[in-house]
Amino acid sequence: MLARSDVKSFISRFPSFEDETLSMYYAPRMPKAMIKETEELIALARKFNDEVARPLCLELDRKTHEDPDYFPVELVKKANEWGFYTLWIPKLFGGKGYNMPSISYFLEEIGSVCLGIANVIGVHYLGMTGLMMSCNARVTKKILHEVVEGEKRGEPCLLSFSITEPNAGTDVEEVELEAMGRLGCHAKKVKGGYIVNGSKIFISMGHLSKWTVLYAYTDLKRGADTKVSMMVKVGMKGFSFGRHENKMGQRICPASVLNFEDCFVPDEYVLTDPESLKSFTKHPSRDMNMRHIDYVFSISRAAVGAFGIGAARGAFNAALKYANESEIDGKPMVTYEWVQCRLAEMYANVRLGRLTYQEANYANQHRGPYNLLQMKPMYYYLKYMPLWFFNIILAPLLNRSIGTWLMSKWYLDWQKPEDQSLTTGLASMAKFCCTDLGVKNCQMALELMGKAGLRQENGAEKILRDAKLLQIYEGTNQLNRINLFKSIIAPAAPKATFFEE
Amino acid sequence: MLTALNKDLKPFEELITKFSKDELKPHVEEHDRYPFGTLDTNIIESGFHRIYDLGFLGIMLPEKYAGIGQGISAMCMMLGHVAEVDASYSLIIFTSGMSQQIILNADADGIAEKIYPIAKNAQEYLVAFPSFTDPGQAAALPQASSSGTGYTLTGKLDYLVLGNFSKWAVIPARTTDSKSYSFFLVDLNDKGVRKSNAIFSLGLHACPIIDITLNGVSAQIIGGEGKGEKYFEATSRIMHVAAAAINAGIMRGSLKEAIDYTKEREQGGKLVINWSEVRMLLANMAVKSKAAELCVTQTCKAIDEKLKDWGQISIASTLHVHDLACEVVTDGVQLLGGNGYMKDYGQEKRYRDARQVQALLGLVPLKKLALIKEIIA
Repeated sequence: MLARSDVKSFISRFPSFEDETLSMYYAPRMPKAMIKETEELIALARKFNDEVARPLCLELDRKTHEDPDYFPVELVKKANEWGFYTLWIPKLFGGKGYNMPSISYFLEEIGSVCLGIANVIGVHYLGMTGLMMSCNARVTKKILHEVVEGEKRGEPCLLSFSITEPNAGTDVEEVELEAMGRLGCHAKKVKGGYIVNGSKIFISMGHLSKWTVLYAYTDLKRGADTKVSMMVKVGMKGFSFGRHENKMGQRICPASVLNFEDCFVPDEYVLTDPESLKSFTKHPSRDMNMRHIDYVFSISRAAVGAFGIGAARGAFNAALKYANESEIDGKPMVTYEWVQCRLAEMYANVRLGRLTYQEANYANQHRGPYNLLQMKPMYYYLKYMPLWFFNIILAPLLNRSIGTWLMSKWYLDWQKPEDQSLTTGLASMAKFCCTDLGVKNCQMALELMGKAGLRQENGAEKILRDAKLLQIYEGTNQLNRINLFKSIIAPAAPKATFFEE
Repeated sequence: MLTALNKDLKPFEELITKFSKDELKPHVEEHDRYPFGTLDTNIIESGFHRIYDLGFLGIMLPEKYAGIGQGISAMCMMLGHVAEVDASYSLIIFTSGMSQQIILNADADGIAEKIYPIAKNAQEYLVAFPSFTDPGQAAALPQASSSGTGYTLTGKLDYLVLGNFSKWAVIPARTTDSKSYSFFLVDLNDKGVRKSNAIFSLGLHACPIIDITLNGVSAQIIGGEGKGEKYFEATSRIMHVAAAAINAGIMRGSLKEAIDYTKEREQGGKLVINWSEVRMLLANMAVKSKAAELCVTQTCKAIDEKLKDWGQISIASTLHVHDLACEVVTDGVQLLGGNGYMKDYGQEKRYRDARQVQALLGLVPLKKLALIKEIIA
């Protein structure tokens, strides 16, 4: 037949066969224990849904309409009691160290009952991702330690992620746009830290988080090259909360305006700035900033994809329940072929969407930000090594500059550009496919249920309201389509340029 | 577009546009707030007198009932313009129109005279109706019993539009002797009527919807016993396009707000509207919105001219407009990004309202099956 070299040559051609079929290549390499861990988490999520989320979600949604300034403080405490805010913190940083891809399945499960509650849990890990992907080992260790201690003391210590600005939404998600956008959050270098002025908007869980990952710029006209990322804590002078946004859906999870007025952030909480980036790489800071944000979104967009499938499942469940309980012309609704076909399509949407976020997870596991922790030897080593080993041997390393240098080298400098493209592209694909399918299933459920679907008490209308936000946050679905083209299709379109039309 | 076909509507259009802008627009956000369906009586009364004086509420009522005897075109023109500002008020007018048409199709002169010429306020004039229900599809309806001089009704009826506002309601109920249902006029202030709180629904929040339970409530039959389905069919054939007109109005509002926003907001150093994908989304919205207007206009024409199969045209075009509307309002939110999802802008309300309008007059799939049944019969 063909020589091995020919085979290699043919399958490497665009589109690369391996890149197109990640699950076939990578599923066999997955440590078996990851499946057991994920099963355990799904069981935990289902138990939480039965005992907390399902009984509460419609009541809390109503409460947020009665009082638009209601904050789900009790729910956050409950999630903290269930240990949800440390599940995916690596053992190295004191957490329970569950494998990161499992968060998608977990969030889908909770999201199938309530997207707002899923986000009350999930957005904390967006904050954690923003923090960890900065690769500043010392600050990461300090803050994640506070999260772990907060869980022990029953005082939730949550993280949020603050990048969206009043005049720059999409602009802060791509360095090309960041370079041209109307940025407003300014960081001025002063002795011992930065002084920050500006605002951030639409910050999920802003009011309820202790720490936020903040992006600001030393030169607002050259944002892509002058970004400073830092951790800001509630109570720091000059940091205050603005309004609690009045959203259509996901109302259980508040969105906040954060204001910074001459807010001094000491150097000890600065994660990265142009100078620190130079300490480990020869790449321009713009490229490293893009790699950082790409990896944050590679993780978070796969998770939003899981939210989308949660919505699709929730809508399917509502429609199936209605069809099971209703009759048309004296016959059960589910006996009609047209009903069966619509329910089958909704079910298929759930399964199809899940495959896309699984592909994104495989890319993250083997070619992206999870690639170190999910290598089989490393995974088992971290899983079974006693806690004292981390505390005594490894943890002290994190406080030294070598810890940050090693993390920065591994996660930012040494990563291959083609792997970065693959992970960010597939995460974007998962994000827009799954969230579009989520909204599609909501529409189908409403059409099947008629006026019953319009009543809040039946759940379907809430899912429709909740699901729409998924098409907007973590980059609009239009931006994600462009990112997919830019990251994966562009090699087949050499004349293509981006954000330059 | 309707006024292009019928010049007589122009003065009405100017009046309703001004009314919507002056009287409704300032209150849109306020009327969308929880608790929903607590209709602002002052606004309704002042608005009622204005639009009643202008003749809008009786736009399809014959002059003998103090109406102005216009056709479906005038109704659609009015509903569309109101919906462009706040579709909740279109639902109020639509529901009133449904009740009127049921009474007219039943030739129930006595009932029409009892309500419309002597109504002193909005509560008396606007007659409640279960506008989201095709009574023929309902699993259960109240039971009507003959009581010698009239009827008494017992049982539950869900999702009655204007049920906690109006004095009168047109209620479908089943009599023991008939296979089909009948319509009855019920005084909602009767002590045998138990009303739920306003229902928390997806959209159209300014218009109250409730469930009611009837316990031996006196009722007056509208038309013949067991003729409800016939009256509903005749009414819904015409009023389907009225529902389409509401969604066409919502689409116009959505497109306009999307264009206005993208012309002002910048992204990547230039106006959002100057990015080609944004223009493509706007273009898709425009194509659908314009096509919807054409559907409404031509359907009205077909009805006015009693073209062959006008009833089928009315249902088919309406279902199509609803599909288009649900797509347009989704993109309408998208084009405003995070702001589109916030209650500070009108797009999220339209996203909810369009779906609520789609559910008017019964289940969408059953309407499709009824249509094809009629076509192949």
